Amino acid sequence: MVQLVGSLRRELAESLSTCKVLVVGAGGIGCELLKNLVLTGFKNIEVIDLDTIDVSNLNRQFLFQKKHVGKSKAQVAKESALQFCPSANITAYHDSIMNPDYNVEFFRKFMLVMNALDNRAARNHVNRMCLAADIPLIESGTAGYLGQVTVIKKGMTECYECQPKPTQKTFPGCTIRNTPSEPIHCIVWAKYLFNQLFGEEDADQEVSPDTADPEAAWNPEDTAARATASEKDGDIKRVSTKEWARSTGYDSVKLFNKLFKDDIMYLLTMDKLWKKRKAPIPLDWQQLENSMRPQEESPASGLKDQQVLGVWGYCQLFQHSVETLRLQLQEKGEGSELVWDKDDPPAMDFVTAAANLRMHIFSMNMKSRFDVKSMAGNIIPAIATTNAVIAGLIVLEGLKILSGELESCRTIFLNKCPNLRKKLLVPCILDPPSANCYVCASKPEVTVKLNVQKTTVLSLQDRILKERFGMVAPDVQIEDGKGTILISSEEGETEANNNKFLGDFGIRNGSRLQADDFLQDYTLLINVLHTEELERDVEFEVVGEAPDKAPPPQNNQEEVNSITNGNKDSAQPSTSSKGEHHWKLSWIKTVKYDKNTRPLKSLGSSRQFHVLHENSHFYSCANITAQRFSNHQLSFQHH
Amino acid sequence: MIDMIEKEDPVISEEEAAQYDRQIRLWGLDAQKRLRGSRVLLAGVGGLGAEVAKNLILAGVKGLTLLDHEQVSEDSCRAQFLVPVTAQGQNRAQASLERAQNLNPMVEVHADPGRIEDKPDDFFLQFDAVCLTGCSRDLMVRVDQLCSKHNIKVFCGDVHGYYGYMFCNLGPEHNYVEEKPKVVKPPADSNDGPEAKKAKIDPNETTMVKKTTSFCTLKEALEVDWTSEKAKAGLKRTPVDYFLLHVLLKFHTDKGRDPDPKSFPEDSQLLRQIRDDVLEALALSADLLNDDFISYCFSEMSPVCAVVGGVLGQEVVKD
Repeated sequence: MVQLVGSLRRELAESLSTCKVLVVGAGGIGCELLKNLVLTGFKNIEVIDLDTIDVSNLNRQFLFQKKHVGKSKAQVAKESALQFCPSANITAYHDSIMNPDYNVEFFRKFMLVMNALDNRAARNHVNRMCLAADIPLIESGTAGYLGQVTVIKKGMTECYECQPKPTQKTFPGCTIRNTPSEPIHCIVWAKYLFNQLFGEEDADQEVSPDTADPEAAWNPEDTAARATASEKDGDIKRVSTKEWARSTGYDSVKLFNKLFKDDIMYLLTMDKLWKKRKAPIPLDWQQLENSMRPQEESPASGLKDQQVLGVWGYCQLFQHSVETLRLQLQEKGEGSELVWDKDDPPAMDFVTAAANLRMHIFSMNMKSRFDVKSMAGNIIPAIATTNAVIAGLIVLEGLKILSGELESCRTIFLNKCPNLRKKLLVPCILDPPSANCYVCASKPEVTVKLNVQKTTVLSLQDRILKERFGMVAPDVQIEDGKGTILISSEEGETEANNNKFLGDFGIRNGSRLQADDFLQDYTLLINVLHTEELERDVEFEVVGEAPDKAPPPQNNQEEVNSITNGNKDSAQPSTSSKGEHHWKLSWIKTVKYDKNTRPLKSLGSSRQFHVLHENSHFYSCANITAQRFSNHQLSFQHH
Repeated sequence: MIDMIEKEDPVISEEEAAQYDRQIRLWGLDAQKRLRGSRVLLAGVGGLGAEVAKNLILAGVKGLTLLDHEQVSEDSCRAQFLVPVTAQGQNRAQASLERAQNLNPMVEVHADPGRIEDKPDDFFLQFDAVCLTGCSRDLMVRVDQLCSKHNIKVFCGDVHGYYGYMFCNLGPEHNYVEEKPKVVKPPADSNDGPEAKKAKIDPNETTMVKKTTSFCTLKEALEVDWTSEKAKAGLKRTPVDYFLLHVLLKFHTDKGRDPDPKSFPEDSQLLRQIRDDVLEALALSADLLNDDFISYCFSEMSPVCAVVGGVLGQEVVKD
């Protein structure tokens, strides 16, 4: 005779009250999930989140109130949940799940792991940890009205990385520096400019005209000639942008004239670029000031942020923000740097102003601060109800798993409107693992095309192994019969190798490299395919994956897939017709490891993965396709 | 709800803009303003009711009235998250008030301990939308008829174990706008960038297309005549749960309560009986709804409430 405890059959109710579960993330999905878990009767829950609470979270992360802004999400979520279920046993970690403390042993404590994340890197990592520990994982994501839930179980289903996922769209340096054609190019430029002037200078974030642009040359020899000529021309290459700015005392008018007049005039001399494109029109501060007409009173019926100012308005905004930022920098002291943050008003003002001025120069319609913020900050619109539904579905799938009914688990898509068969929620059977998966196949292997004379060891580590293949602390040895160690995850051991080229170690076409990440219990064999023909700004290609073309108009399911996986990494999804690109831009900072970081394999050593919350989550993320990522910056906190 | 804007144009303050930022970016400033001007009645603050309350309060309606005459029992504390564990014996609406209000101080939340059955007609007229959870069939039909006459939107829903349903009636003539991507033919002198000059769908530019649709009343929805040819044809595509709903509504009407896990054996028996009666009365085969449902429809399951509450909440907001 069936016995019920509330809605549940007794055996299930009992197993709920004893098992341990892990929730990764305490944001939109996490809050709803935590609530559902305690109300359903789960008694032992651990929750981890590296972030703190922001006012923009309050429209949906209901365990948080205004008074909690600035505090740890995991901690406050735990406290709020205990309010309505004091008997629950909740452990909160204000930390990153990628910290080596959370090793395979840690994961094995749990019967079930549930992701409530907003970025792909963490999802990849948890995917691998759950495979290593052989624990079922429930993966989910939401964006706007759309959402999905799926179950991952080693050996039985696809893992998170079995299917290649569309990666962030990036733009070639030349487009950013010379020939922007869309607002997003100008916004990216403005963010680079912020870093060049106030933040961490990055060689991949140049803002000055790119004299080595192959498109600019009438003859191939010209390109080389220009490149060498500009080296002598200190204005362009020799002096760093920051040094130059400092030498002018961050004089906003001087900055303005260099960026929006002189540099543009330089671009105009590269006349081939403008044969088929509309040429940019330089701005002159004095002229603009003289021709300024008195402001009309606009009837601010909407939000102030949603208004588009005139050119002079952005000039003033530029001036004002530069001054504020200059003071901020000064206050911080000698040799300090600012970190861009979309919620820091002067930083956001600066990007809004600079991007708009550039848009105007290149004959594009200017955008409101509201819109610029969306694009610059990769904001995914979010509401409470989508997260509520998805979190509910997560628990329902979880119950199936705990009842031993894995076969009845499904991938479920939440649509915006009922589909043709009047379904709002669409379940799909789970696919078996992919035999070629470079993560969960029994002996994962990939082939990478690159130029061994031009790819450095550091690039291999950061762009290929970490960004592209999701490793956190790789160890690499060459399969040359001698087991030569190329990269060691122990800090300092192989640092001397970083700037050498792969070719210097005898790596050539057909060489094989064994890459390991001990924390993830993951080994990947890499076949090297040497080539000298890669496209403009491309550093490497993974063979077997098609270059990132503009996707055709997608059906709902694909859209959900590409949107909800790795939310943080992609900006507003747009349905595009053929020929247009999705401008998914990921803005990611480079990982900075603390000097004392040690990988897990050396027992007894201190394991301090130095995690600075707030802005300092750094990741470098590589592009799967033909275009090289410049270092992008991801702000982890604001979602 | 388009007339709503002309009636009062509440200004969105900077504080609201910051808090509602992520949703304004989804449904736009106008929609947020309409929400900001609407008053909603929520009857029943059980598991489902609490979810709907949370969703509406977070969305930023003007006012939400929680109406519930029931008292907090030991079970209620476990069923929903608005009631403090110390509140046993108190009225459920009043006990939920504080936490509900804390979800969003910008919303006016009221608690009413009265019985919905006792409320006069004009009580309902002060609201723009009414949401009924855990109510009896007759009451829902009555409120639905009353509200449609006065252009008040009606939403109903309930959760039984793993099962749940929702119903909405936005009136016989509901005007709404649908966002459609704009097809742009750029002028010779394109301003959005010197790209190709072909007609293209600009994903960032949309136009609002006005549309009208008609909703049936709850009475009509429940009183489908399954003997008609048209209905028989539609039977295959009708989820079995629709009939389960009939069974559960009848149980509620007959017993004055929902199936209770504490009286599982007797209630199971009764459910089976009602199932047979209902299907017979509708002139349908008894095989349509087999016995499996019985052990899965007791009490309110939190995740199911979350799902139904989410969908229901979203429907209310969308309107």
